[in-house]
Amino acid sequence: MNQDAFVVTVNLIKMAVIFLLMVQLVPILVWVERRGSAFIQNRFGPNRVGPLGLLQLLADAVKFAFKEEFTPGKGHKAFFYMAPIIALLPGVLAFGSIPLSIPFTLSGDGYSHTFATQVFDLGIGIVFVLGVSSLAAYALLLAGWGSANKFSLFGALRASAQMISYELALGLSLVGILLCFGTFNFSEMIAAQEVPLTFFLFGKEYTFLSFLPAWGIFYQPLGALLFFVSVFAETNRLPFDLPEAEAELVAGYHTEYGGLKMLMFYIGEYGHMMVASALMATFYFGGYTFPGLTVVGVQEFFSGTLQIESANLISIFTMLVFHVVLMTKILIFLWIFVWVRWTLPRFRYDQLMDLGWKTMLPWAIFNTVLTAVFLLLRGV
Amino acid sequence: MSPLVSIVVLSVIVLTFGALLVALTSLIGPKTEQSKAKQMAYECGLNVPESEVSKVPVKFYLTAILFILFDIEIIFMYPWALVYKDFITEGKGLYIFFSMAVFLVIFVFGLLWEIKSNALEWE
Amino acid sequence: MISAALFYGFSAFIIIFALAVLFAPNPIVSALSLAATMVGVAGLFFALGSHFIAAVQITVYAGAVMVLFVMVLMLFDLKKEDAVSAMYVRFLKISVAGVILGLISGAITLSGFASNTTIMSVDTASVTPTKKLAVLLFTKYLLAFEVLGILLLVIAIGVVSVSRIKGGTHAKS
Repeated sequence: MNQDAFVVTVNLIKMAVIFLLMVQLVPILVWVERRGSAFIQNRFGPNRVGPLGLLQLLADAVKFAFKEEFTPGKGHKAFFYMAPIIALLPGVLAFGSIPLSIPFTLSGDGYSHTFATQVFDLGIGIVFVLGVSSLAAYALLLAGWGSANKFSLFGALRASAQMISYELALGLSLVGILLCFGTFNFSEMIAAQEVPLTFFLFGKEYTFLSFLPAWGIFYQPLGALLFFVSVFAETNRLPFDLPEAEAELVAGYHTEYGGLKMLMFYIGEYGHMMVASALMATFYFGGYTFPGLTVVGVQEFFSGTLQIESANLISIFTMLVFHVVLMTKILIFLWIFVWVRWTLPRFRYDQLMDLGWKTMLPWAIFNTVLTAVFLLLRGV
Repeated sequence: MSPLVSIVVLSVIVLTFGALLVALTSLIGPKTEQSKAKQMAYECGLNVPESEVSKVPVKFYLTAILFILFDIEIIFMYPWALVYKDFITEGKGLYIFFSMAVFLVIFVFGLLWEIKSNALEWE
Repeated sequence: MISAALFYGFSAFIIIFALAVLFAPNPIVSALSLAATMVGVAGLFFALGSHFIAAVQITVYAGAVMVLFVMVLMLFDLKKEDAVSAMYVRFLKISVAGVILGLISGAITLSGFASNTTIMSVDTASVTPTKKLAVLLFTKYLLAFEVLGILLLVIAIGVVSVSRIKGGTHAKS
């Protein structure tokens, strides 16, 4: 009985930590976005509050909480309040199914439990993530319609039409990498990328440059590119931020929102970016693994070099090391999100739709067929 | 804990967190008089016209319906990708390849037809 | 114990939102309730161990079909519907639902399904039920799968043709 309570408690703590990790990253990301844009545009950016302006976002959050509550008079109040709450959900659920590190073990006299470092380990991993992300359209539609404002409604309409158009390219660009791995489960995919890179040439397998890991990017460069472009559209970021084109639509679906409710849309949007970056790392860049970094090696470093006695501590520290590896990869992709936003101009709506349906979709089909033919010729 | 329990518990936590944030704003924010002008929809300072029946191009619906169709076709490629390697190791590689190839040909034909008939044209 | 709680919880969720679909005066509330019903059905599939079907249920029904419904409804001027909410419309909705419910439950009781009480054992612990499903789909049901491709093509062409009928904003002039 006690053991069950112990397992449930650890699971609940894990859940809370992963959720807070996501929420806490948002202010930091907003800071990176503002400082990054200032750096790119040769400005200063927020630099007064705290060191490097780091406390600016904390101050903003407090300010948000003390803003006056506002609801549009003609809008549907229930939908207006529901939309930001629903906006939080898809990102968090999707992030919860991605493994953030190796499993860790907690043991004592007479018990030993291994916990995965994700909220839920699903056999269908990626299909679940795609399904949950497709629910994000509801938050936009509810916000747009509940505000009873033309700009909001058209922003929501554009956003949902754009999201569903690029969901096709997104889904299809992943088929190639799934063909290579033959599994939907994230942990199995990461395990498959740990081995050295092998190439198949003229009927023989070659392993050269053996320091390179078998990361998905080496097998699926086109798929990775298509995936990365479609997640930009899915997250409504520049150059695909037509739903929020301020010259035409004020602020898009959240025109009427302010204060903490606005912040919640931000958490949802940045949550999507985090999920996209984590997926990018997991599919194409080896997840939490790094060449030369082995579980046994890290454990020996902690037990041998640092003289740590407790097996539980060693297990947790090892888990944290691998978590830092994944986090570094995620942050690099998040920086690319920011970088692209302040570098590229916005598309026109017809160009956006043309790119999604007439360029990305055919190339994704080509990528799938190419991968299938290669695998067939190779015979595995 | 089984994954479904975790999903349900996490959803409840997130929704509660969101509801608390929303409640927080209405509790601690300053209360001022809600005038009619204040509650008006944002329209750059102009008065909002009374009837707001806006015509929306049928394109949006068309895109959404075509999305559903293509989405279903793509969903079917996922189980195919899952077992593709297994079939090849069993020596039935050509069988599984062509079973999807026929489907893909129909899919590509549909896509090309849509492009040719200007159904995906936005102006 | 937990699985029973999940089953009853999701069933109650589905029933509540299904009733909301019928009784909500506003069509958008109805459509959103239907989407919630789909999510509940996905939860039931998940509880039964068919995770892939659950995810597809969410992706296709909740994430695509119902989004289209909600999108279409939001762009109509619903003020009239809201104001009228005519008794007879509601009566019509409920009676149609009642007739269909009666037909389905009658069909189930009269068919051999009810008397045949052997319940298929769901092997939730099996390695990958999804792989089994995939193998079945591409061996036993291959023909149905290919025919489905053609069916979807026909629908796509039909949709485009219907949207071209004169009077539409995209009509061939």
